[in-house]
Amino acid sequence: MNNETNKDSRKILIDIKNLKKSYENGQIKALNGLDLEIQRGEFVSIIGPSGSGKSTLLNMIGALDVADEGSINVAGIDLLNTKDLSKFRSEEVGFVFQLHNLIPNLSVLENVQIPMLETSLSSKEMEERACKLLKSVDLEDKINQKPTKLSGGERQRVAIARALVNHPSIILADEPTGSLDSKTGDIILDLLKDIHQKENVTLVMVTHEPYVAQMADRTITVRDGKIQEDTMKSN
Amino acid sequence: MNYWGLIIKNPFRNKTRSALAIVGIAIGIATIVALGLVTSGLEASTETTLKAGASEITVSQTGSSNFDTSGSIDENRISDIEKLKGVNQTAGILRASADVSDGSNMAPGGGFFVNGIDPSQLSLMGIESINGSKFENGSYELILGKTAAENLNKSVGDTITIFGKEFTISGIFESGNIIQDGGAFVSLNVLQNITSNENKITYIAVKVDNNANVTRVSEEIADAYPNELSTTTAADQAGKINDAMGYIDTATWAISLLAIIIGGVGVVNTMIMSVYERTREIGVLKAVGWRSRRILGMILGEAIVLTLVAGIAGTIVGVVGVNVLLAFSSSFGSVIEPVYSTELFVRAFGIAFLVGIIGGIYPAYRASKLAPTEALRYE
Ligand SMILES: Nc1ncnc2c1ncn2[C@@H]1O[C@H](COP(=O)(O)OP(=O)(O)O)[C@@H](O)[C@H]1O
Ligand SMILES: [Mg+2]
Repeated sequence: MNNETNKDSRKILIDIKNLKKSYENGQIKALNGLDLEIQRGEFVSIIGPSGSGKSTLLNMIGALDVADEGSINVAGIDLLNTKDLSKFRSEEVGFVFQLHNLIPNLSVLENVQIPMLETSLSSKEMEERACKLLKSVDLEDKINQKPTKLSGGERQRVAIARALVNHPSIILADEPTGSLDSKTGDIILDLLKDIHQKENVTLVMVTHEPYVAQMADRTITVRDGKIQEDTMKSN
Repeated sequence: MNYWGLIIKNPFRNKTRSALAIVGIAIGIATIVALGLVTSGLEASTETTLKAGASEITVSQTGSSNFDTSGSIDENRISDIEKLKGVNQTAGILRASADVSDGSNMAPGGGFFVNGIDPSQLSLMGIESINGSKFENGSYELILGKTAAENLNKSVGDTITIFGKEFTISGIFESGNIIQDGGAFVSLNVLQNITSNENKITYIAVKVDNNANVTRVSEEIADAYPNELSTTTAADQAGKINDAMGYIDTATWAISLLAIIIGGVGVVNTMIMSVYERTREIGVLKAVGWRSRRILGMILGEAIVLTLVAGIAGTIVGVVGVNVLLAFSSSFGSVIEPVYSTELFVRAFGIAFLVGIIGGIYPAYRASKLAPTEALRYE
């Protein structure tokens, strides 16, 4: 084993080979032999028609679901041969969904702390970290409010803070601007891009809007559960 | 924020539904607490019958009933029995059932018992402290039990008419025995006279020597007068009372079991609805890295919080309820003093806790097994 390959394999964060996933007893082939490599620190957008398997792919990367066939390695972990994936989800990934999915009876600050309950941090450390993150998404004056009192854009910023709180190596965003108006959506996209640059976190974002997709360094087009196109930004 | 805070907070998100579940379980707990207080109160009031100075053996006419009110034993037997080996002291008692002159029939069982006895032997009846003084032998004086005094609204110095004769109340006593405290004691020869039971008594109370075996002495008395006299020991009677208490205890446990089942079903229902409504949220918790065990613990914890709140509410309702009922029930109120034992409250909360676990485990298991993607797709 030479030094060259060693270095290379360390840069590959997500390594997917011939991944297959079907639903409804094989009737629906959501992923149909998909191959994909993503390097650490990349900003990749996934685009494709509705039902093409984008969310399924993202869920596989985040270990929310288990594939039927093939192999998937993320951050050095073989996801198809690991029993308890909660540790992986807690340490390596942060999800941002189309809907914010915040817990309505908890304050903004408490919502951001939820993922840290799996860690060994003290409640003081948790609160400090959550406060700092909420400040960085410009919500320091809303920390004690309930999510229902916030606007759609504010809620999505809380969700982003929640995704970042355990310092993941990958942010997985599934149509994060899908339920926002375009102006608010742009603010969220800028925020995600900003985080990607500053924190050097790998960002994988699903979208069905080409103009959103082209913000990324690399755009992958999925169709019928396979990669149809894989283009790097030219400039 | 911490995990425990979340568990305490969550059950109150749907206040109506949680309140309904709490009320259901609280009714069961209140019943258990109330029954427990009353039975332990009854136990305590019967235990005092086995007091130190009191007689250990009761000698009655063979074939007579427990609450016979006639004079059927010859008075001479009092001294005959006293001569037997192991016997320390004897007292002859004539029991009569009287209506108070105003026509009211006050004692809890329906009979107002008037007992004739030699005043020097009152200690054999477990009567030690008298508010006022004993009656004089041969006088028209009597001492009244505390319960009877309260029911008849009489105090020391008042008069009371029984069997057509006016008696002065010389004292009020409290023996702790429900039956005795609802009746009166008068001079034996006076009662024999006015009820035409000259030289007759209903039963003989026997106190044994300090080192004598109660059972053996009891058997010897019965053997000395076959087909005439029968004996029972205080321990026998306590045993019978304990049997009755045992039935009440069994009933309490049956009600507890019913409360567990009904309450458990209520909790299962409440928690399943709650989990169902929070499907997406549980998906999110899994997505952010919560282990299945943590989700299981949260839902189970929420169920236990519900039932413990019901335990507190039920205990309060049970305690207040028993006290209010006793305050408004003149006949039982003065007899039963509720006994607050730690064991009863431990039992009430133990049952509440158990209902929480039984009712919470299945919904918690279901929540922990939800597939994250399914949960997140759920609308
Ligand atoms: N949990 C599931 N159960 C059944 N069918 C599913 C499930 N998840 C996804 N699918 C199906 O798999 C296909 C791909 O879905 P998805 O990955 O969500 O597509 P996209 O995100 O590109 O719109 C669709 O036909 C969808 O209906
Ligand atoms: Mg999708």
